[in-house]
This record gives sequence, structure tokens and C-alpha cells, in this order.
Amino acid sequence: MKHSLRGLFLVCVCLLCAAHPVFAHVGSKDVFEQVNAGPYKLFVIIRMPTVIPGVASIEVRSVGAPIDSLRITPLPLTGEASKHPPTSDEMKRSSTDQAFYTGSLWLMAAGSWQVRFGIAGVMGNQTISVPVAAVAVSTLKMQRSIGAVLGTLGVFLVLSMAGIVAASVREARLEPGALPSPTRKRRAFIATAASLLLMAAAIWFGNKWWNVEAASYSTNVFRPLRIDPVLSGNQLELIVHADGQANEHRARSNNDFLLDHGHPMHLYAIRQPEMDAAFHLHPALASPGVFHISLPAMPPGDYNLYGDVVHANGFPETLIAKVTISSKMKGAPLGLEDAAAHPQPLSQGELGTSFKLPDGYAMIWDRPATVSVGTAYSFRFRLVDAWGQPAKDMQPYLGMAGHAAFVKIDSTVFAHTHPEGSAAMPSLMLANGRANDGSNMTMSSDMKMDMENDPISSTVEFPYGFPSAGRYRIFVQMKHGSTVETGVFDTTVR
Amino acid sequence: MATSTVSVSHSIAVPESRSTTPWYTWLGAVAVTSASIGGAWDVSWHRSIGRDTFWTPAHMAIYACGVLAAIICGYLILVTSFGSSQKLKASSVNVLGFRAPLGAFIAAWGGIAMLTSAPFDNWWHNAYGLDVKIVSPPHTLLILGIRAVGVGMLFLTLAAMNRALKDETTGGLQTSKNLQRIFLYIGGLIVGGQMFFLLEYTWDIHLHSASAYVAMGIAVPMVFAMLSQASRFPWAATSSAAVYTVFAIGEILILPLFPAEPKLGPVFYPVTHMVPAAFPVLILVPAIVLDFLWQRTHRWKFWQVALISGLLFVTVLVIVEWPFASFLHTLAAQNRFFGTIYFDYNTRPTSAAIRHVFVNPDSGSALFGGLFRAAIYASIGTWCGLSFGRWMRSVQR
Repeated sequence: MKHSLRGLFLVCVCLLCAAHPVFAHVGSKDVFEQVNAGPYKLFVIIRMPTVIPGVASIEVRSVGAPIDSLRITPLPLTGEASKHPPTSDEMKRSSTDQAFYTGSLWLMAAGSWQVRFGIAGVMGNQTISVPVAAVAVSTLKMQRSIGAVLGTLGVFLVLSMAGIVAASVREARLEPGALPSPTRKRRAFIATAASLLLMAAAIWFGNKWWNVEAASYSTNVFRPLRIDPVLSGNQLELIVHADGQANEHRARSNNDFLLDHGHPMHLYAIRQPEMDAAFHLHPALASPGVFHISLPAMPPGDYNLYGDVVHANGFPETLIAKVTISSKMKGAPLGLEDAAAHPQPLSQGELGTSFKLPDGYAMIWDRPATVSVGTAYSFRFRLVDAWGQPAKDMQPYLGMAGHAAFVKIDSTVFAHTHPEGSAAMPSLMLANGRANDGSNMTMSSDMKMDMENDPISSTVEFPYGFPSAGRYRIFVQMKHGSTVETGVFDTTVR
Repeated sequence: MATSTVSVSHSIAVPESRSTTPWYTWLGAVAVTSASIGGAWDVSWHRSIGRDTFWTPAHMAIYACGVLAAIICGYLILVTSFGSSQKLKASSVNVLGFRAPLGAFIAAWGGIAMLTSAPFDNWWHNAYGLDVKIVSPPHTLLILGIRAVGVGMLFLTLAAMNRALKDETTGGLQTSKNLQRIFLYIGGLIVGGQMFFLLEYTWDIHLHSASAYVAMGIAVPMVFAMLSQASRFPWAATSSAAVYTVFAIGEILILPLFPAEPKLGPVFYPVTHMVPAAFPVLILVPAIVLDFLWQRTHRWKFWQVALISGLLFVTVLVIVEWPFASFLHTLAAQNRFFGTIYFDYNTRPTSAAIRHVFVNPDSGSALFGGLFRAAIYASIGTWCGLSFGRWMRSVQR
């Protein structure tokens, strides 16, 4: 944290650092989720605040059976507090678009929360919840304009108070119409100097107080659990260190991971700086707080590691580390549920909307004409065979029709999402009252039904919105037969 | 008691005029009342409903204080500085080139401080999150501003009262009496403001801890002594404590009449109506004792009076409040009047408030050491209040 100078009085200026917003996903705080509740289907966007307590903005588009009203309630995901919701708020229906609703909710404490949607419509009432990770992601730098206004008012307050002190000593006790004597004027001068000294002391104490408050707040800014990678040959150990937080909603252990699609961790390894090799791997929990994996053959170089985990209270986070792969490393075969891609380096230009796969298949992105910051999209990808026809032997990959990772090339954004959205599946299950026994928890009942009864489509859509402008590389996994395909695409977000 | 002298030189002639109660003193009392109601309402809002906006009625009541102060001060400063009334100019002071009664400048300063606190608080919310505690730097500036408006109105009233006291006509006497009542009423609201600031320390579950008495020792006798000296009224401390007591009991009786439901979770206690603050602390009793003492110690030096007053304030307060706090934890107090049936929506069933038990009660040397410190602070506060009050007594402008 870096502080700038502060001017006179408390209101003058406080400049604080901007920490990297790192949490569940990396640099991508908003939640984009498509949820089904009986006949109702909602596309939900929850724009999370950057500070806690803070206000989350919520937008919903109803795309299923028509609904009459939509109500929202915030409540913790687990624990005693999750059983005591406050009164719900009715979302506001757009006057121009009857299927679009907006609302806002206060999230008063950091931790694992959910937004509960109460849907009322002609097809009856339904309830569905979307989990959210409520964390402070940064401190705020005071804008120059506000600092200038507050500083000016602060200086005026100090000067005018000094003037009031002077007037009170010089004239306040004089009979009406009497003029102050030289003695009174001299006393007023001394009192003014004393009041300025006193106010300087008050400002000094205020500044100290502000520093304490700012330092206290900065300790609340979310930081992922520390993870130390230890590489020996191709044996990678990821040692996760425990968090000391005592709060019931924030507590994160290094030994409380829920299985997500059958794995305690989904690890993306992406070669830097060209992003020309990417792996989606699944380390096993070897001992409490220690993940282990035998790495596959990987091109040598520096890799960013992004390990997605979900804690027992439903709190998801992405653990981040770096590892250097030697050219001498002998890799193991790629695991059956693992995936790899070797796209062209970033420096060779932007990838197009069709990505040629090693087995002759191709993955195609129906890219929107423009991609802009903050806008919610449902990005559609299609898998086609060597003849350009939709792939026919589609299989679920890790229980889903597809997985996608949106990664900014400067490494400030990493988001691993699914066709249902950006919320982690175990959190979604906890939010909707479904048990997570660790072994067969991979999908919600609705999804499970989809998977069991419906054929997997060769077209998959991922709800997502980019958090900041810049160039991104997108890795998309789909499975046909026994082959896991990874398509890679680039886009520049404006 | 010690006396102060007023040195006056270079007198200029001022035409005599008949005294009347100035309109702005009434409006000033309304402004301070509005802020007091707004503050109590806002705390209740946060305890009952949980979340608010800039435009809640409680906030409006607080802003109304600033608006009324701006009207009063703006009028007085403009008319005195740029108008032709020699009478107004004669009873004004000069601050940064403008002329008005001293109280108008103090209240105007408070209004600007309140105004400054708004964008500061807004930035604070964006930087560190929405409020979870009363005492934060921007809130302190706001409270300082509100308090300055109150003190400004107190000075406006006092100066008018002191001038009226020199008018020996019937009208003058009546005016000074009216102004004295307004002064004591605003003073009572200021006592209430002090107790409001101490709410987190003086909740009934903390009244068997020395820290509650230390807090009150610092904040309350000082104001009692100031009001007593400045108003010249023999029962000033009693009157102001009575205003606080009536206001706080009124809050208990009135707020629960209005329905409310929590908009924040978790909701551990089913709130259906606005939740009032706790029953007022019985500072009325030591106030009566202090008035009684001060009526009989005119010839004492301030430090002697202060020493005895500090000891007496804490002793009497402990004697009455300690058993009363125990009473508040009994079934007999669980009714609409004593208000121990009201809890925040987020009060857990296991909390001390619900179980009616004291939090970290003190005993033995910790208790007596704490109470001794409270008495020392109360004595120092009393001395400051007496000295400042005596100075205020001669304010003419």
C-alpha cells in the first residue's frame, strides 16, 4: 500500500494503493449465470462491489416461462445465518423490456454468500439461488477532483474556525457597539495561533486515525491462499498454506476442499509470455494441504498456474503460482480427463474464429461483431468434424458440455467458466440445498437430468462478460468420443 | 467562585431598543431538534431495517438541521454584513471580513462541516465499504458539524439573553426568560447528543463496567457545568438532563409505533417495528445533586467545586444506575416503557442483550480504579465546563 500526502484536516487527501483484484477467478469479480427453476429460465448478472460492505447490482433477463415478479434476498451460503433471510426485495421490471429486471442488494460481510431469487409466474412459484463470493478486492485511490474539493473545504474550515476563535476573544464579550482594545486584539492573535496549533494537532491525530483505518481495511482485502509449487522431475507438489481468518463465513482451510466435477482442483498451466501451451490438469490431494500431479510432457518455459478450488463453505478461489519447466523434464501421458493445446504464440498475431484441432476437427467461435467491457454475452462455440459438419459423438467433459477459460494476456484476468455460468458448481449446489457428498456431486439435478436424458450438443454457450479492456486468449474444451478437444481463440475487448 | 472582568474601551453610542425574542433562536431550536430526532431515527433505522439510502426520512431530518442553520446564518451574515442596521452591526463580530453574531458563524461553520462530510462519507463508503460503525472520520466530521450548529445556536441564544438581561423593562425580563428556556432546551439536546455519542459504551449490558462511567465522566459533567454557568439558572443541569431523559423515553414510546422489517440479513430476531434505543441513563439524579451543590458553592474556587463535583457525579451516578441496570435485566422492565423488549434484527439468541446479562462486569480493584479515573475525568471536565461557562456568561454578541 502506498500513501500520498494528506493535506490540512481529515478531508484533504488520502491516496491508497490499488491492489490487484484477485479472488474466485482472477480479476473477474462479476457473476454471469444461467439458472433454471422449473419452467423458468433466468440469465443472471451479479455485479459485485469492490468493497465489503457494499452494494451488488443485479440484472436478470427471463428467457423461460413468463414471470410476474422476481424477488431477491442476500444470505450467507452456509451456517446458522443462512437460515435467517431478511425480507426480500422486488426487482424492478424494465418499462421497455418486460423480460428484463434490475435490483441491488447490500452485502454486509465478506465471505461465501448467495443471492436467492423468488420467482412468481403463471406456472407457479419457484426459488433458485446463485452463489457469490463477497470479498473486498481493492482499496480506492481518491480522485484528484474530490481531493481538491475536500481539501479546499478543509482549508476553509480551518481558517474560518481560526477566525471564529479570534472573533470570540476579540469582540464576543464586548458591549454592543464597543470597539476592541489593543489588549483584546493581542489576546485574539495569541488565541488564533493557539487554535491553529490545536487544529494542526487534531489533523495529525485524524491522519493517524485514518492510517489505522486504512491499514485495518487493507487487511480485509482478499488474497488467495498462498501456494508453493515444488517440482521434482515431472512430479509437481502444490503446498497450500492455511488462512488465519476466524470469521465463520470467511474461514478457509487448506484441507476443506469440495470436489468440483469430481476433482478437488482444476489446474490450468499456461506458458508465458506467449500463451502458446495450455494444460487443464487435475491434481489429487495427496495429504492435507498438499496437491500432487505427474505433469504431462510440456514445452519448456515459465508457466502461470491457476488452481480453482472450492472450500467447504462454498467459497471458491483461484490459487495462483508460477513454475518453470525444464527442457529435460520427461512428462507422463496426459490424463484421461486432462486437456492440452498448443496454439500459435501471441506475438504471431490474433487467432481467428476457427481453430483447427489436431485430429482434423475444428472448433468455431460465433464471435460477436464487437466485444466490449462489462457487457454480458453468451459466447457460442461449435465443434465440427473434418467435413465441417457438427460433431456427432459428443460426450460430456467433466460432467459438462464444455469448459472455458478466459485469460487476459497480462495475466490480470483468469476466469474458468461453464455453460451454466461463472459460479463454481459445488457452490451452486450448496446454494440450492443439494448435498455434496464428494463422490457423485458433479452436477445439479437439473443438469444431471439434462446430461442423462439429452444428447450433448456440439454447440455450447458460455455466459460471461469481460471485466477490463485488452487482449484475451480463450481456451475452450469439448469432448467427442474419447477425445478432449481444446480450441483457442483471441479477442480484443474494447 | 472566581469572577471574570470585562474590559471595554472606545465605546460608541448605540440607540436603545425594546427587546424581543429573536425569531432565529426559535428556528435554531427547531434545527437542533431536527438533528437530534434524525440521529435517533437513523440509529433505529439501522437496527430495524438495516440498510438505507441518502434519502431516508431520518437523513432528511439531519439535513434539515443544516438547511435551517444555513437559512439562519446566511440571513444573519448577509443582513449584518451588507445591511444598514446599526443595531445588528453593533452586536456582531468580524470573521474573515463578514459581520454577524458569533453564534451565526459557529453554526455556519457547523453547516459547512456537515456539507463537507457528505462527499467525504460517500468516498469513504466507496473506499472502505458501507458503514458498520458510528465513529469513523467522516461521521466524526458530521457529528462535529451538528454539534457546532447546536453550539452556534446556543451562542446566538445566549448573546441575545445576555443583552436582554440588561433591559430592565418587563419585556426585557420576559425575553431573557424565554431565551433562557430556549438555551436550556438546546443545552439539553446537546447533553442528549453527548449521550448519543456514548451509546455503544452505555448500553444497559455495559452498565456494570467502569468504562461506561469513565465515558460519561468525560462527556457529561463538562456540559452540565457549562450550561449552569452560562445560563445563570440554578437548575440548569437538572433541566438539561430532563430534556435528555424525556427525549430518550419519548423515543422508546414513539418509535415502536411504526412498522418496520429488516432488509439486511441475517435476521436472528424478528423485528416488526422500529427499534428504539435503550432506556436513558439516570444522569438526571447526579444533575439534581450537582445543581444543589453549585447553588451552595458560589464562593468556592472553580478547582474546589470541580473536584467535589467530579466525585459526586460519579458516586451518585453509580449509586442509582448500578441497581437500576440490574432492574432493567428483570422481567419487571420488559415492557413498553422501559423498553428492554426491543432488539436489533441481527441480535443472536445467545447474545448478552437477549439473555439480559452484563458484558464483562467489573468488580474489586478494576471497578474502583475505573470509577476513580471516571471521577478524575469528571472533575477535569467540570472545571473546563465551569470556566468556559463563566466566559460564555459575558458573551454579548
